[in-house]
Amino acid sequence: MAALRDAEFAALQSLLKAPSKDAVRQLCQECFSSPPAALGTLAQRACPGLAAGPEEAEQLVSALHNLTRRVVYCGLTRAEEILSLFPENFHQNLKNLLTKIILENISAWRNEAQASQISLPRLVDLDWRVDIKTSSDSIVRMAVPTCLLQLKIQEDAALCGNNPVVSALTVELSKETLDTMLEGLGRIRDQLSAVANK
Amino acid sequence: MGLLNFTRDPVPEAVSGDMHNLNQLSAQQFSALTEVLFRFLTEPKEVERFLAQLSDFATMNKISLGPLKNIVKSILLVPNGALKRNLSSEQVKADFIALGLSEEKASYFAEQWKVNSPTLTRLAVGQTLMINQLIDMEWKFGVTAGSSELEKVGSIFLQLKLVIKKGSQLENVYVELTLPQFYSFLHEMERVKTSLESFS
Repeated sequence: MAALRDAEFAALQSLLKAPSKDAVRQLCQECFSSPPAALGTLAQRACPGLAAGPEEAEQLVSALHNLTRRVVYCGLTRAEEILSLFPENFHQNLKNLLTKIILENISAWRNEAQASQISLPRLVDLDWRVDIKTSSDSIVRMAVPTCLLQLKIQEDAALCGNNPVVSALTVELSKETLDTMLEGLGRIRDQLSAVANK
Repeated sequence: MGLLNFTRDPVPEAVSGDMHNLNQLSAQQFSALTEVLFRFLTEPKEVERFLAQLSDFATMNKISLGPLKNIVKSILLVPNGALKRNLSSEQVKADFIALGLSEEKASYFAEQWKVNSPTLTRLAVGQTLMINQLIDMEWKFGVTAGSSELEKVGSIFLQLKLVIKKGSQLENVYVELTLPQFYSFLHEMERVKTSLESFS
């Protein structure tokens, strides 16, 4: 996430025309959460409130998006760090307001960034049931316990936007398979503790 | 012929003739043939080997292979039916006697049946239908160092690859879990194990 250019800081000054501090706060949150592709639409919605032309609104929204994302990327946590991002001649009050808003939101934004990072399909839910097989075409009477596991898997959030695709996969495990799986999971747990204790 | 234990359907006509021929074998020959049969039943994939052993038996005992194969087909009807119906060795013996086999040979076969039935039962259970059977699980875990949104992350991830048998094909399913999800998953699997064990 590159540092902001002077032109972008200039665009931020359009915020001085905002009707209220809350409006600025709202806009900051929307700009952070919006993916780059949706910034255009966001700008169109924002420009009437800011009494800014479409081009000005676009530049503002883009600059605000970059600023908030930059702060989150660098992991800045203190006011001084954020204040030092702004150029010397930036409007003092606006600078303080933006810093305050960013500090308020920083940990929520960080969690949001982490939750939406790319990954393999994610496990979102797990259900299981144990059945006893009593009969089949190969053997008329038996009592074999078996486990059915239903995994709900969500495709990469970034690919699906607001409509994540969740698919359900039902898997059958015999007792032997389950024992082997638990052995593997146990090994993972041991390795995780070893890493945590270092 | 009275009611048979191993089947409800009428038995093919050839069977009593085949049993009669079997009675002509010496005890030693019958024992050797029984061994070949059970070796095949416990390892049903070894068809080539079974046919080779039958052919050897035929040559050694001066019997023609064709009739021998028919005899074997008749004999195998009983253990196959017996396995499906969980028959005891007494029932198997009774059925062979009802089909015309001598008491001595029927007893011997029933004894061998008793010895081999745990293995055979396990095989039959193993053939039972499984939906999307989990064949294998591979895993790796690591630390996310950074991303395009966050320069420093330091969070642990776990990736699982599940190999699932769908019909006759294998399918790979990739899933990622966070650390809390992993512990939750482990906990649930342990609960499943307890449940399965209480039913075994």
